[in-house]
Amino acid sequence: MKKKDIEIVAYKCKKCGKLHFPFHDRCMECKSREFEPVKPQGDVRLLTFTRIYNLPWGFDARYLIIGVGEFENGVRAMGRIDVDESYPLKTGMTLKPVWAPVRVKYGENVYGLMFEPKG
Amino acid sequence: MGVGMIPFGRRDEDSLMDMLAWAGLKALDDAGLGDGGVDALYVANMGSGIIQHQTSVASALVDRLSLLPAGAESIENGPASGASAIKNGLLAIASGYYDTVLVVGGEKMREVTGWRATDFVATMTHPTAEYVYGITLPGLAGMFTRLYMEKYGVTREMLVSISIKNQAMGTLNPYAHVEMALSKDGIFDDPAAIVNNPPAADPLHLYDACPVSDGAAAVVLTALDKVKKPSKPPVVIAGFGQATDTHTLQERADPTDLKAVTLAAQQAFERAKLKPTDIHVAELHDAFTILEIAESEHVGFFKKGEGGKAALAGKTKLGGQIPINLSGGLKARGHPVGATGVAQVVDIVWQLRHELPKERQVKNAQNGLTVNFGGFGNNVLAFVLRRVQE
Repeated sequence: MKKKDIEIVAYKCKKCGKLHFPFHDRCMECKSREFEPVKPQGDVRLLTFTRIYNLPWGFDARYLIIGVGEFENGVRAMGRIDVDESYPLKTGMTLKPVWAPVRVKYGENVYGLMFEPKG
Repeated sequence: MGVGMIPFGRRDEDSLMDMLAWAGLKALDDAGLGDGGVDALYVANMGSGIIQHQTSVASALVDRLSLLPAGAESIENGPASGASAIKNGLLAIASGYYDTVLVVGGEKMREVTGWRATDFVATMTHPTAEYVYGITLPGLAGMFTRLYMEKYGVTREMLVSISIKNQAMGTLNPYAHVEMALSKDGIFDDPAAIVNNPPAADPLHLYDACPVSDGAAAVVLTALDKVKKPSKPPVVIAGFGQATDTHTLQERADPTDLKAVTLAAQQAFERAKLKPTDIHVAELHDAFTILEIAESEHVGFFKKGEGGKAALAGKTKLGGQIPINLSGGLKARGHPVGATGVAQVVDIVWQLRHELPKERQVKNAQNGLTVNFGGFGNNVLAFVLRRVQE
């Protein structure tokens, strides 16, 4: 499957600099309504993760591994982790973010963040 | 003034409207209001539009209970719908516009498969930043648990102690969904425990999570000065609190800090003019075992990092420092999402009236606390209830 550029956009408050993802209409810190878009940059540091074995409707898999990662420019985002369930994941480890299919809806791929092992 | 509940569990033969009506009638009877006197009906429900393909359940219930022309509203606030409905009833009475409000909370979740029920609950999450990845509430709880274990040293043994305590209480509660006692060997110590108690959303296992349940509960609220000759000891909502937090867990500076729980409890204590040490019994929202531990710390019963140790030492059992979830909690009573916040209040009212059998009754309990946890801690309500002194 061809991978695409990461399409997530975070929002930096023009007044106080606070970074937001996902979008808010007003800054969580200073309530300003002016933001500049910020693309997440670099690899991600894995902040936390889980392996889910009781899946919601819409997934044809035995398990899902999902984590929250922090990009090098501070953007935090949830993503799927593309490893086997026995892979020795640890919080704090560095993973490579890619934009890849994360679920199928009405027969079409839905793209999202996927974290892969480095190297 | 009046409370009622129907047994939680798998109720294949009963419709959502049946359950709501039966719980409502029990509360009306308990209040001595069988023939009316209700100004408004608030119905707490999260999923009828998705699961039953039925909306405006309050309008249907007010008719079914022949409470016309009382006002009627459905209130949806995720798993905190029940406490939200009670809060709105309380405010309506406090405003002076209404004298008596019936609040009924209910949910029928077993009508759909586990996949569908899990998906339905997950619709609370952020659509593009969380839900799209297949995250579930157990998944969010798993990620939270990993962080809590790393930061505060909570162990699997501590989590297991909550499962065992609450399921033991469930065996004593005729309203509980799960009436099966657990042994530590069976779910933790024995090599076969991994088969009995497999990972669900690691580090959480199967018995760390509440069941998916059907059920309903109801309360009748009225102003204390309208109660002339109470047939049962009146219990007042001495204080309430509500607070919100970020929709996504990832935007919290410290995701282990359940700020909304702390703030909601603080508000409730301040309004009641009471402190955590004044509480004799509590019903906390243990949708996952970690939440009972974390909430017991965030409401002020224990310092951060001490809740798990306290549970393991038996301090949250009947007879302990602060008995928690003597109903079995969500873990054993069950979690029909719209009913839970109402059921917590019903259980505390029974405690404060001293109506429960001795194996579940806190002796001479005067003050109780409930915490109803919406989303993953992004909308939390707390009530302090007090028995009125004769």
